[in-house]
Amino acid sequence: MVRFQPSRPWRVTRLQATLALILAAAGFLAVTQIRNELLIRQQLRVPSQRLEELGFMLREMERNRGVLEQQIFQLRTQLHAYEQGASQGRDQLEALGRQLDRLRGLAGHTHVAGPGVIVELDDSPLPLRPGDDPNTVILHYTDLQGVLNDLFASGAEAVAINGERVISTTGLNCVGTTIICNAKRLAPPYRVIAVGPPDDMMAYVDRPDGVVQALRAFAFPVKITKAVRVGVPAYRGSFRFTYARPSGPFQ
Amino acid sequence: MWLPIAGLLVGIVLGFLVSVEIPLGVVKYTAIAILAAIDTILGGGRAQLEERFDLSIFVTGFFANTVLAALLTAIGDLLGVDIYLGAVIAFSIRIFGNVGFIRRDLLERYWRGARRREAAGQASR
Repeated sequence: MVRFQPSRPWRVTRLQATLALILAAAGFLAVTQIRNELLIRQQLRVPSQRLEELGFMLREMERNRGVLEQQIFQLRTQLHAYEQGASQGRDQLEALGRQLDRLRGLAGHTHVAGPGVIVELDDSPLPLRPGDDPNTVILHYTDLQGVLNDLFASGAEAVAINGERVISTTGLNCVGTTIICNAKRLAPPYRVIAVGPPDDMMAYVDRPDGVVQALRAFAFPVKITKAVRVGVPAYRGSFRFTYARPSGPFQ
Repeated sequence: MWLPIAGLLVGIVLGFLVSVEIPLGVVKYTAIAILAAIDTILGGGRAQLEERFDLSIFVTGFFANTVLAALLTAIGDLLGVDIYLGAVIAFSIRIFGNVGFIRRDLLERYWRGARRREAAGQASR
């Protein structure tokens, strides 16, 4: 709304021209932006604000796909090798099958049953007096690990704690008042089932100065029973070997 | 009066005729810059109505606001903070304020004109 100013017509024109230029630039920019945004929405069907997030997801997915494709390649190679093995003869295949069964048992992939012992442990029933350290009546993962060590040392072949199979990568850890095993929380009472030579295991676990005797000395209820036939369930988790690769002897 | 509006129309028509593709990474910055430009233009309109419009203030404001808004967005991207939200809010508030002032100025102008007409009518009677 520039008023007509007859005394300075040149200044008015310059002002109007500048305004016109700036408005033209603004209008051009706005229209271009709107067209671009519409184009993005039309083509991709997402507003531009979400593009970065989606791009990140896309990269992640593509990485995953690469890994899966590698897996497919590996599995195909394996399959090929097996097929070759099959064509080379049934004897070899049977031998391989037996070996596979044995290795599966060792790795914890199969349910196993046989003679063994059952060790039952629980937190101490002693009531806590004020000022007492609660740690003295709670069973710790080190105690359970000690029992496991004794069992394996005396010939246990398959062990499970509260139904969780102990495998080569199993580690025990304390999480609060529970013990974590194979990424599963276990709560007392703990029932350790071991398949192996019952007499040897019983004698070794219950030896003087052993973990079990020490626990008993601190009033933890521990019960060891021999059994003619106990069952140990298979490992239900997944195996993940990201870093370890089979290799020859390593110096 | 008509030249700036003609300029705006020319800009819009040019925007429709010439298709410039803004890269995806820059879309955010241009959006903020446009917001800043709209704010400055509305501020200019208000100053015009209040008869204190100054071309140099308008031009510097236009470019400074636009560049600052884009720069702020870029810094926010670097820091990982959505600073551009601050710019959006600030400019939106200012746009609302300016539109409100423009409305008031226009109404005042209309009332003043009506009163003057009334006075003129009484004088002639």
